[in-house]
Amino acid sequence: MKSGSRWYRFGIQVAAVVLALVFTSIILLIAKAQPLEAYKNILVGSFSSIEAITNVIVVWIPLLLASAGALVTFTAGLWNIGIEGQITLGAISTTLVLRLLQHSDVSPAIIIFLAVLSGFIGGALWAALAGALKTYGGVNEIFGGLGLNFVATAMTIWLIFGPWKRPGIGSMSGTEPFANTLWLPTIPGLRLSWWSLLIGILALVLVYVLLSNTHFGLKLKAVGKNRKAASVFGIPTSNFMMSAFLICGGLAGLAGALQVLAVYHRLIPSISSGYGYLGLMVGMLINYQAIWAAPVAFFFAALNFGSIQLPIVMKLDSSLSGVLQGALVLFVLMMDGVRKRFEKKA
Amino acid sequence: MKKNVIWRTIVVFMLASMLVSACAPAATPAPTAEPAKPAEPTKAAEPAAAEPTKAPEPTKAEAAAPTAAGEFTFGIVMVGPYNDHGWSEASYLAGQYVEKMVPGTKMIYIDKVNSADRPGTTGDQLAEELVSKGAKLIVFNSDDFKDASVEFKKNNPTIPVLHISGDLAWKDGKNYKEMEGYSNLMSQMEYGEMIGGCAAALTTQTGKIGYVGPLINDETRRFANATYLGAKHCWETYAKKDPKDLKMKVTWIGFWFNIPGVTADPSTVSDDFLNSGHDVLISALDTMEALVQTKKAVDGGKKAWAVAYDYKDACNEAPDVCLGVRYFNWGPGYVKAVKAVMDGSFKSYWEWAAPDWKDINNPDTSAMGFNKGKGLSEENAKNLDAFIGELAGGLNLWTGPIKWQDGTDFLKDGEKATDQQIWYQPQLLEGIEGLSVAP
Amino acid sequence: MKVELRSIHKYFGPVHANNNISLTILPGTIQGIVGENGAGKSTLMKILSGFIQADEGEILLDDQVITIHSPSDALKRGIGMLHQDPLDFPPMKVIDNLLIGQEGGLFPNKRKVAADIKKLANQFGFSIDTEAYVEGLTVGERQQLEIIRLLWMGARILILDEPTTGISASQKEKLFETLTRLASEGMIVIFVSHKLEEIETLCHRAAVFRGGLLVGEAIQPYHTDDLVRLMFGKPMELGSRLGCHSEENVVEIHNLEIEDPRLHIRDVDLDVKAGEVIGLAGMEGSGQRLFLRALGGLLATTGRTKLLVKGHDLTHEPYSSYLKTGVAYVPADRMEEGLIPGLTLKEHFILTGDTKKLFIDQEESLHRTKVKISEFNIKGRPDSYVEELSGGNQQRALLALLNEPLSLVLLEHPSRGLDLESTIWLWEKLKERCKTGTAVIFISSDLEQILHYSDRILVFFGGKVSKPMLAAETNVDQLGQLIGGKGFVN
Ligand SMILES: Nc1ncnc2c1ncn2[C@@H]1O[C@H](COP(=O)(O)OP(=O)(O)OP(=O)(O)O)[C@@H](O)[C@H]1O
Ligand SMILES: [Mg+2]
Repeated sequence: MKSGSRWYRFGIQVAAVVLALVFTSIILLIAKAQPLEAYKNILVGSFSSIEAITNVIVVWIPLLLASAGALVTFTAGLWNIGIEGQITLGAISTTLVLRLLQHSDVSPAIIIFLAVLSGFIGGALWAALAGALKTYGGVNEIFGGLGLNFVATAMTIWLIFGPWKRPGIGSMSGTEPFANTLWLPTIPGLRLSWWSLLIGILALVLVYVLLSNTHFGLKLKAVGKNRKAASVFGIPTSNFMMSAFLICGGLAGLAGALQVLAVYHRLIPSISSGYGYLGLMVGMLINYQAIWAAPVAFFFAALNFGSIQLPIVMKLDSSLSGVLQGALVLFVLMMDGVRKRFEKKA
Repeated sequence: MKKNVIWRTIVVFMLASMLVSACAPAATPAPTAEPAKPAEPTKAAEPAAAEPTKAPEPTKAEAAAPTAAGEFTFGIVMVGPYNDHGWSEASYLAGQYVEKMVPGTKMIYIDKVNSADRPGTTGDQLAEELVSKGAKLIVFNSDDFKDASVEFKKNNPTIPVLHISGDLAWKDGKNYKEMEGYSNLMSQMEYGEMIGGCAAALTTQTGKIGYVGPLINDETRRFANATYLGAKHCWETYAKKDPKDLKMKVTWIGFWFNIPGVTADPSTVSDDFLNSGHDVLISALDTMEALVQTKKAVDGGKKAWAVAYDYKDACNEAPDVCLGVRYFNWGPGYVKAVKAVMDGSFKSYWEWAAPDWKDINNPDTSAMGFNKGKGLSEENAKNLDAFIGELAGGLNLWTGPIKWQDGTDFLKDGEKATDQQIWYQPQLLEGIEGLSVAP
Repeated sequence: MKVELRSIHKYFGPVHANNNISLTILPGTIQGIVGENGAGKSTLMKILSGFIQADEGEILLDDQVITIHSPSDALKRGIGMLHQDPLDFPPMKVIDNLLIGQEGGLFPNKRKVAADIKKLANQFGFSIDTEAYVEGLTVGERQQLEIIRLLWMGARILILDEPTTGISASQKEKLFETLTRLASEGMIVIFVSHKLEEIETLCHRAAVFRGGLLVGEAIQPYHTDDLVRLMFGKPMELGSRLGCHSEENVVEIHNLEIEDPRLHIRDVDLDVKAGEVIGLAGMEGSGQRLFLRALGGLLATTGRTKLLVKGHDLTHEPYSSYLKTGVAYVPADRMEEGLIPGLTLKEHFILTGDTKKLFIDQEESLHRTKVKISEFNIKGRPDSYVEELSGGNQQRALLALLNEPLSLVLLEHPSRGLDLESTIWLWEKLKERCKTGTAVIFISSDLEQILHYSDRILVFFGGKVSKPMLAAETNVDQLGQLIGGKGFVN
């Protein structure tokens, strides 16, 4: 029964993916484009060379962090839609430390370490704000998070155009790039930094262990499934919800820190790059199972990166990857609903 | 349980729309561009369009075709949409011009390269994508790619780079950086700005000109200042009015085009100008909000005009209110670069390409031009031509006395500006209202 | 309307919850369903009311084979079910809960609906405040609401799955009166209960379930012993009063005061001895639940209240201090407060175990879970989700989760959903605890049980609390009068 149902579930998932592809293909056909060619281009674009694959991994890392964070808040029954803003605040905090210390005598390695740490803290504090609004102010975390996302963007813009503007320049394109010494070292000739990869994978592993094997994780799950009963069980639910926010925010903040240190080397307006939203989608798609976060996030990253080929080769808008990702999540959820109905009858 | 499903669905939709919209906020220029498309075939028949141009055909099939052997492929990294009827479309046209003029060449491009439209990517990374598609020369079409072009050059030393509007290759410039096979190209748009300013000054009835500026840097200050000099000159010389009565105000939006939520909204900026007595707007953006808003105001009963920018047919968007457009003609510059790369003579150079004073609208020789619009009266058109004639004859408006906004001297009486002084302008000029530097 | 079930089978994985059940119910019948916990009663009822579908077998309505796809489908055919655990939308008003299920009409006529409901409720002697929020209601009140709703929606076949746990004797009388009247009008009532005396007074016929099988049927007049033997395969006897209290005070309550929008409880003084059992009687919503929750630290007291447990002053302490002092609370709405749907039995036991260490000792907890499962005779596996357990087994799980040692156990309707055998067994378990000095305070609407197992009894009426009475010196009548409000001075 067990293994049978596992295969059956797997089949259902495959069906969902196929449906999502069909759906996206229809949209492509409406846009008068060849779906197969589009998919082929995405694939080729993401996997054809070592550069391409490492570029996908560069996208994968922040996505991993965001997904891992999303998993923690999902487990606590929270929709932390504010991840996007938490990434941004992580990036801002990192930039702050870099700016403060860049001309000092402190060794670059220490500056980078402090900057990463500061990113973590910045993201966590920003999440704490959403958490406080939720647990003490009764503001739904979705609305609180969305609001804080806007505030975070506004803050970035203000910093870039105001206090952190490039000398003599007033442009939204970003702050002055940091000196090469303050970049996270990358593999020669590639954009990927081992350090980023290490942080990303470590974060996911930690979250996996935390959720599946610790009392903290189980309590968090209890809070997520039934807050009232959890409190009767003696679990301080508010504390746990806050902790979930803090962890998620911290991980998001790390993503922001890496965006600054390893990708853009400066602060730009959309430093979060939509990874927060994408991370939530990954979380939903894998239905709380941390094990799947890595491959699904990788798939999403490949879609994101590979879709750059569409405007170059086919003159298609690359937001198609967003459509495909959205369709995937929707269809998987839908098929899950269908399966539940079906199982009830069977 | 049910409730949860509903929540989930709502959230997915929200996320998806955020993602899709996050990926394409600059879909904003696209819609304005789209409806204009059908106008293009008719345009050819319209005598008002000064130059019979080839409509930019959507080149789907052509672009998708694999590179044939022996073909020379060059890649353009564009900051905005290729069909923005502005800055990026000017580059796109230049690419097509190259394909026409240099047989066996092929353009590939990636447009909307900015962090809002292509989150998670960088300009140098996308340039590498073009290289992997066969590009043997990369054109970065915006000042915004200064860092990206350097980063790209560092990682791909063998690929020639043409960066538009920068100064890194200028040996006598402030920011010279020795890089082999890295060149800059910029048109002497100061003249276009002066002509645009002149048209505005000749037309304004309130004496108040609104300048919708992009971000603030040496280049944009240079252009705003040139506009003012042109305006002031024509105001005094042709309109015979007191320079004290001429007001020009600059409002910067923060980027080359509107990024919703990030920049100030250029439509709002334009409206604010129009509602505060400015009757001529000069756009310095890659996109055409100023023109569009002016047309709306005129349709609503106001008397107002606008000067467009970047792209030679920009006036078509609202011909009746358009005084003209100062536009870039990158074609010759691109051809030069491509030919040089093809015959192996591409070196690091800095080109500040001049207009062809014999005919500034000559597509094969002039690096910039000015297309008069229907909104310009016949008399003013005559005066404008006279002014262009003056410029062609050697009139140098960068002649002292000119003061900076803060009252200090830019040029003493009779002093003429050097190239460096013209290129690097730290402030707006006295007489211009607006920010010289970001607050 | 006549109902016929033919050879119904239902499997849940390896569990054969319904095994070849055939049953015919004629119009005008009140059909009783009895059987031990996990016998398959609720499963069959859920099949009939469209919540789940049978794997095999047929349902006939007036000799016509029908398939019921969903609860609303069932309701359209006149079949309505009251669940063991109410399925309403707690954060909404009563009136909105009613309107949700209603068909048609984009703009429902709230006033008319409210009037209709009031009228129906009056017929049953229920009082329903349509503007109240559902989460503020007791389980009993929610059950009443659900019955009214089903009748109002036009149910002709009324399925009641253990409806009497939360309602008082007089309310029960009213309910039975109405059910009898409904049956005399030709309706079918299917009544699932563990209380044989209810079956005896109410039901025309009774079907007995055991291990998924229908093992026998009986008609009035019944022989209780026969039914018991059919249910359990052996006769049963109630255990004795625990009577193991000492002289040591475990709990001291002084001037207890609780303020609630609906009730105001004042000036309650009570000392509870180690090992003592105190029963709280009264109509639902008379204040006994508030009292119990206050003792459990789940509700704030006001005024000059002083509450000591084992000498610790817990008056203004947080809930966690109560837990530390060994106060345990067993709520009635087990799927909302007691257990955590979505978590397995094992995960529940991990949560109630020692959680100080960072990592979970999976093996130890699996072992502990297995021990508890067999000790408390729970029909389920360590990795069963609690929502998959039958009602009675959920209750067992709830009790199994209690830690030891404890100073004070507070139970809301402890035998709710338990069959006779389990109830006896439950009190045996509690007796073991009492022997080690644990005091027990419980609420029950079953006066027999209160009289039988308590040492002392408190009766609640409208927020007033009677003096403690020795259970051995009172009787059902006296209690009944107090519950009805007679004998309370102001
Ligand atoms: N959704 C489910 N998944 C798995 N097993 C289930 C599910 N629902 C019921 N069962 C199992 O089916 C059997 C019968 O359950 P049912 O709820 O019908 O018992 P019951 O007679 O109503 O018992 P009780 O008197 O305790 O309410 C039990 O062993 C129970 O564990
Ligand atoms: Mg049951």
